[in-house]
Amino acid sequence: MNVVITPAMLGQVVVSGILAGALYAMVALGLALIFGVMRVINIAHGPLLMLGAYTTFFLYQALGLNPYHSVPITMLVLFALGALLQRTLVFRVVDAPELSSLLLTFGISIALVNLAQLAFTSNLRAIEYATGSYTLGPLAFSKSRLIAFAVAAALTGLAFLFLQRTRLGKAIRATSQSREVAMVCGVDVRRIHLITFGVAAALAGAGGALVSVIVAIQPEMGQIWTFKSFLVIVLGGAGNYPGALLGGVLLGLVEQIASLFLTTQLSEAVAYILLVVILLVRPTGLLGGRQT
Amino acid sequence: MRLTARIALIVGVIVAASTLPAVGQQGPIRIGASLSLTGSYAKLGGNQHEGYKLCERDLNAKGGLLGRKVEFVVYDDQSAPPTAVRLYEKLITEDRVDGVMGPYSSPVTEAAANVTEKYKKVMVSPLAATTSIFRKGRKYLFMVISPAEGYLEGLVDIAAKRGLKTVAVVNEDTLFSKAAAAGAVELAKKRGLQVVYQEAYPKGNTDFSALLTKVKSLNPDVIAAATYFDDAVALTRQMKELNVNPRMYGVTVGGDLPEFYETLKQNAEYIYGATQWEPSLPYPGQKEFLDAYKKEFGHEPSYHSAAGYAGCVVYAEGVKRAGSLDSDKVRETLLKLETRTMFGDYKVDGDGFQLAHKMALFQWQDGKKHTVWPDELASAKTRFPTPSWTQR
Repeated sequence: MNVVITPAMLGQVVVSGILAGALYAMVALGLALIFGVMRVINIAHGPLLMLGAYTTFFLYQALGLNPYHSVPITMLVLFALGALLQRTLVFRVVDAPELSSLLLTFGISIALVNLAQLAFTSNLRAIEYATGSYTLGPLAFSKSRLIAFAVAAALTGLAFLFLQRTRLGKAIRATSQSREVAMVCGVDVRRIHLITFGVAAALAGAGGALVSVIVAIQPEMGQIWTFKSFLVIVLGGAGNYPGALLGGVLLGLVEQIASLFLTTQLSEAVAYILLVVILLVRPTGLLGGRQT
Repeated sequence: MRLTARIALIVGVIVAASTLPAVGQQGPIRIGASLSLTGSYAKLGGNQHEGYKLCERDLNAKGGLLGRKVEFVVYDDQSAPPTAVRLYEKLITEDRVDGVMGPYSSPVTEAAANVTEKYKKVMVSPLAATTSIFRKGRKYLFMVISPAEGYLEGLVDIAAKRGLKTVAVVNEDTLFSKAAAAGAVELAKKRGLQVVYQEAYPKGNTDFSALLTKVKSLNPDVIAAATYFDDAVALTRQMKELNVNPRMYGVTVGGDLPEFYETLKQNAEYIYGATQWEPSLPYPGQKEFLDAYKKEFGHEPSYHSAAGYAGCVVYAEGVKRAGSLDSDKVRETLLKLETRTMFGDYKVDGDGFQLAHKMALFQWQDGKKHTVWPDELASAKTRFPTPSWTQR
């Protein structure tokens, strides 16, 4: 039972951790956006990712579309769905106490999972694409996870550029800093909310497209991503967008390294213990939360 | 018709209707069950339901049971144990069914069995494989499929016969998988294999890099994985990515689904899987069952369908031999019964725990599942050893 851990093994799990971390960061960025702008904790974030995975799957199955080529289409579909959810449901709880938004998005989450079960059945599906790995010395880089890493890193980068450079991005940040001041400056806050929820859903959808080639697709695949994203944004500082990036990579690394030195079973516990410790030392997360 | 006559008639009908079940040997025998028709077990529970339906039809085609028609009363427990508890309570106390059959899965059976025990109702539970359920002194619960601990017996047996020395056991940390892994460890030790590594991972885990990196460093001859579908797929994909090359690799659940091969394609080749039942197994009545099932439902049965059907047949046999629906009499006959159905052998010990039913081991060969163990049921030779990923 004694495993001797060599530097090569450690290197391997660091690689795996960073690859996973970029994906966590991208998906969590969506959650951070919604929280930052609207103060809504979107429990349905994971189920949106699940719908992204199904969109990719059906495009692959029906049209034979390469799962990576369909990422933009999946993102558009999820953007539309996200905006629709905002328009019809979520806007009602933006100003309500946080418990209302939790209840609402929890309800949306349950509804999405059960609708998916009805519409797609609970049959397990998967896309077989880009299996195997590239090797570099003793290290193996899983093809599907490497591509997921690259796409996630690129999309996260684009999202940041969008937030930093474009008028719309600035308006989103302004709304997240102070809705009243943004409104006074002529920002159409309702439209910003719509776009924010859409972008966040699109990021979850991209995550779904990328994991659809990594894990099996089924209606309940999303929930775990809600928890992971939540962990990531609290680690990094809720409402702080670069914090989501840091939190994502940190979670990926912690999970993998804890799995190596302890067990896979304990790695989750380690991640949550880390969360408690960070909250004790820095209650606003590593990079600090949004100022209220 | 005059008013008094009309009233008399109505009263008469009500009285007759209310006393009918008590008097009427003519009424059907109603067998109640709750099944997972929606929720996470919907597909598997649905298959079991079809097994029950076909059994009901076949029993009635042969003149029913004790000269009465058989009728199943089935409710949906939404894959939730607490709902099943409520439904069995309703079946027994409100619907007053004559007998009950088991729900789908171990957790649901574990919960529902408390109700059936309370009312002293015999329950044949065809889709519960967890040993502990049957070791709690319950008197009226009967098991049909092989226990979880025996799932990887075939894998270990072949490994031992082939002279392999080391085995790594990994499992999902849930009731069934834990039991299957513990069973594999036990069997491996008994057969002189060295268990060089064992690790559990949480349900829903999708990244096995660290676990497989450790397993790889030990280079075991055999990897025995107590899995469900998602983890079996992820584990296999990452074994290829990390170039982990055991000489045998077997999984418990999930590997037997057609989706497993559709998902992994040629990467599923050489993988061993445990199975309770396959359509190709040469049991009596198999062909008739397969034909009837396909005709009735338009698709192939899964082992859940077959176990459901067989469980119902076993219960019916118990009633027939007891000549009564009385729980204690049926219990006596089921404890003594030894029979072989299209699902395999049935014989239980004093706890209702299954002793005779045999697991089989298959191997994916050219896109098909070929039974390779036990020898008397085998339809092909093992392709041994499993070549390394780079040599395929």
